[in-house]
Amino acid sequence: MHKIKRSLTYIFLSIVSFVSIFPFLWMIISSTNKSVDVTKGSLLPGTHFMENLRNLLNTTDLTTALLNSAQIAVITTILALFIASMAGYGFQVFRSKSRDIVFNIILLSMMIPFAALMVPLYRFFAQISKVAPAIGIDTLSAVILPTMTTAFLIFFFRQSTKMFPKDLLEAGRMDGLNELGVFIKIYMPTMKTTYAAAAIITFMSSWNNYLWPLIVLQTPENTTIPLLISNLGAGYAPDYGVIMTAIVIATIPTAAVFFIMQKHFVAGMMGSVK
Amino acid sequence: MKEKKSGLSLHKTTGLTAWSFIIIAVSIIVLFYFYPMIDALLLSFKSGMGANLQFVGLDNYKRLFTDSTFITAVSNTFFYLIIQVPVMIILALFISVLLNDSNLKGRGFFRTAIFLPCVTSLVAYSIIFKYLFAADGLVNMLLMKLHLIADPIQWLTDPFWAKITIIIAITWRWTGYNMIFYLSALQNIDKSIYEAAKIDGANAPRQFFNITIPMLKPIILFTSITSTIGTLQLFDEVMNITKGGPGNATLSISQYIYNLSFKYNADFGYAATVSYSIVFMIVILAIIQFKVAGDKDA
Amino acid sequence: MILKKLMAIIMASVLLLAGCSSGSKDAANKPGANGANSGKETKEITIWAWDPKFNIAALNIAKEAYAKINPDVKINIVEYAQPDTIQKLNTGLNSGTTKGLPNIILMEDYRAQGFLQSYPDAFYDLSDVIKASDFADYKIGPTSYDGKQYGVPFDSGVTGLYYRTDYLEQAGYTAKDMENITWDKYIEIGKKVKEKTGKFMMSTDPNDLGILRVMMQSAGSWYLKEDGKTPNLAGNEALKESLEIYKQMLDEGIMTIHSDWSQMLAGFNSGNVASLVQGNWITPSVKAEASQSGKWAVAATPRLTKTPNATNSSNLGGSSWYVLNMDGADVAADFLAKTFGADVDFYQKLLTDVGAIGTYTPATSGPAYKSGDEFFGGQNITADFAEWTKTIPKVNYGIHTYAIEDIMKVELQNYLKGKDIDQVLNDAQKQAEAQLK
Repeated sequence: MHKIKRSLTYIFLSIVSFVSIFPFLWMIISSTNKSVDVTKGSLLPGTHFMENLRNLLNTTDLTTALLNSAQIAVITTILALFIASMAGYGFQVFRSKSRDIVFNIILLSMMIPFAALMVPLYRFFAQISKVAPAIGIDTLSAVILPTMTTAFLIFFFRQSTKMFPKDLLEAGRMDGLNELGVFIKIYMPTMKTTYAAAAIITFMSSWNNYLWPLIVLQTPENTTIPLLISNLGAGYAPDYGVIMTAIVIATIPTAAVFFIMQKHFVAGMMGSVK
Repeated sequence: MKEKKSGLSLHKTTGLTAWSFIIIAVSIIVLFYFYPMIDALLLSFKSGMGANLQFVGLDNYKRLFTDSTFITAVSNTFFYLIIQVPVMIILALFISVLLNDSNLKGRGFFRTAIFLPCVTSLVAYSIIFKYLFAADGLVNMLLMKLHLIADPIQWLTDPFWAKITIIIAITWRWTGYNMIFYLSALQNIDKSIYEAAKIDGANAPRQFFNITIPMLKPIILFTSITSTIGTLQLFDEVMNITKGGPGNATLSISQYIYNLSFKYNADFGYAATVSYSIVFMIVILAIIQFKVAGDKDA
Repeated sequence: MILKKLMAIIMASVLLLAGCSSGSKDAANKPGANGANSGKETKEITIWAWDPKFNIAALNIAKEAYAKINPDVKINIVEYAQPDTIQKLNTGLNSGTTKGLPNIILMEDYRAQGFLQSYPDAFYDLSDVIKASDFADYKIGPTSYDGKQYGVPFDSGVTGLYYRTDYLEQAGYTAKDMENITWDKYIEIGKKVKEKTGKFMMSTDPNDLGILRVMMQSAGSWYLKEDGKTPNLAGNEALKESLEIYKQMLDEGIMTIHSDWSQMLAGFNSGNVASLVQGNWITPSVKAEASQSGKWAVAATPRLTKTPNATNSSNLGGSSWYVLNMDGADVAADFLAKTFGADVDFYQKLLTDVGAIGTYTPATSGPAYKSGDEFFGGQNITADFAEWTKTIPKVNYGIHTYAIEDIMKVELQNYLKGKDIDQVLNDAQKQAEAQLK
């Protein structure tokens, strides 16, 4: 009885895992094939990876796009984690009627579809450009600024703070730390798990962000990876082998961040929070 | 600034300190979300081509009710919502409970594998899904080999199946994401609670419903709200996999806004009106969800 | 105390942001990257277009040619997906700033009127810069507005019937049987092909009604009346017949369905589809499958039978160049005038290197238009396309082509499910009138 249940669990998880992984395998296989074979849905690995890569490097400015995407994703992640965790902590630890109201209003922003924001936000940045071109239209800052914090992250940190052991805060205050000290020296190290999860989520959404960079960035020097990939597919005769190669390369950093963070994530779970 | 009512602090913390923790985040949200939304509100009372916008009062809002494309988009979106969100949350919850068993071998592998779809970009996964679900694609091939179907299913070009394909795609992409939330919350549940329940003779399903679900309630509420919002704002998947078709069978509200802004001859005024209709719907749904689940948090 | 620290953090992050953006700018910016906006006496222009193998490749040839005429001008070619250029142009023009917009932009002919009419002051009048009569007649409507020529017509979307000679032979047809046929004949051949070879005659995407547009334009008709604004669906004979043919091809089982571009390419590259009716820009994609060399030929587009004025020529897609009214417009106009607007040799290179057929009539007498193509069994397809271009009926694409097409997509589904055709067209007409005010 127990054994059957066990086997069923393994079978179920194996199927789910296979379904999750299969598209990746296909993507990697396709990056080694010629365009014609990709369109035929070939499942056999080919020998054209290097050729695809060479074509990709020759026809696009891949390094620039990678550097820009990395810059945007790293800065966004650092700022967003710090700002949002501080706010989430603040809203929970210093709860009050008025701050709860502010929090609920902030939550509303989560509900605004980006499609609704894109045109007004662009108009806003067009105004900013007139006074401060360094953070206006067509700068990486313009991509970073609106995503520097999200209601989602604030909510996430506030929710996690609910599980935070309160005596730790008190202990910190007893030791003579001020409030910011308690936050930085006690809360932040203890909440590694939460920060790791938040970092994964933020990095990925920033790396894969498409619509806003598309609208606000113009010059090729400022292009990002998702923009580069969407351009590759836009022709009368797109080369799918090259596109798949670009996608594989674009997926490596997010996968890497996940694998690296995952260790901290697990360590954090085993360790601190008890 | 004289509040210090509930909260965790036993100390006197001045309001100023408390506000200083949240002020940066609040300013950013106000500046980059609420300010543009006010601009959009003003736009929603105007109409016209390109930059020649004229004030039209409530005309745009009246137009919503007679616009059959808008009504189709709304009903499609709710179809996704009602089916996709519960399916995904139950699936994610189920998987995470299975994975939380420390005797399970290969936990790390399963967890990584199931989370992996989250790292893909939308361009990537939409191209892949278009292939897998093509009429002569691998999914149909497999189903026909297994004799589950006799003829290929038109996954992308039949109005009903196209909706199902979108739901499958979103579920594939986001189940692992939600699973991670549940897993980390499960790790925080004290093992001794389960031990005690076992001694009391509670079997696995009873443990699940009596301990796991109540303990995870805040996080389930959180994920169901974010998923609901995500589905109501659904854009990338539909745009990339079916482009809203066949006909308008898979069109989502966000995609309709995009079409009104950029695909058709731009009418930013009416696009803003449609945007406000989603905000309105989401606010109502969020209130319902909070009421149903109760926000008297732990 | 805390507040001070916070302020310090905010300041630090703002500086960091400003630093990183200006830093990256400076690095990339040595000679003023987006020079379009820097300084009055600009000698640098930026151009936006899509498709690296086609439009961008064409621009590079033009850039090279222009460098000999005016070496002082620096030309930045920027590649964006087609919908992205539209989106950027819309947001830019709407927010009333030309910052970040290019000097020259490529626009699809179907969309041009919408922009010319929505933002009339945003585009530079090219009437005196190019000679409109040098270009294919059907291109002038979409690229001009209010008596002024705003666009430099670029690629031809002239359509042809590409078919597999080997399949047709197996079904008992020769090249002669394919000349100037009607759609009825096409269906008849398709049935024979299906019977003898098991291959589909055609493949279509229910989300892209390009084939209906081809049929309509071949009879000089469109979704909109000549004014470009009034929906022309109810009682539109050409559209009605096109829909009937579409349904018949599905009912007879000679047309299969694909759901995106790459699957369409796969359809004929893998040999599952025996023919296609497409714009000439599909040629490189057909030739991508080298093993099929010698097995293809191109005939004139089939024509409608019930609709008066039906022809065997039509158009699908195609785009033109526009100059934005901002600093550098005169330089940009000069660049277009001396390359796309006058240079016969440039068009020869365009054809041999890129495979692009322009719409500049004087170019057709050049040498590149005179050689056959082995892939098509030695047929001189360029000369044939050039010939058909001359007779493409002129229609006004107006400002609502895509909005109406989305309405038609829904009604097409209803029609395929059995709804009466006149009812379909009447309902579509009503919806279009309600939606397009």
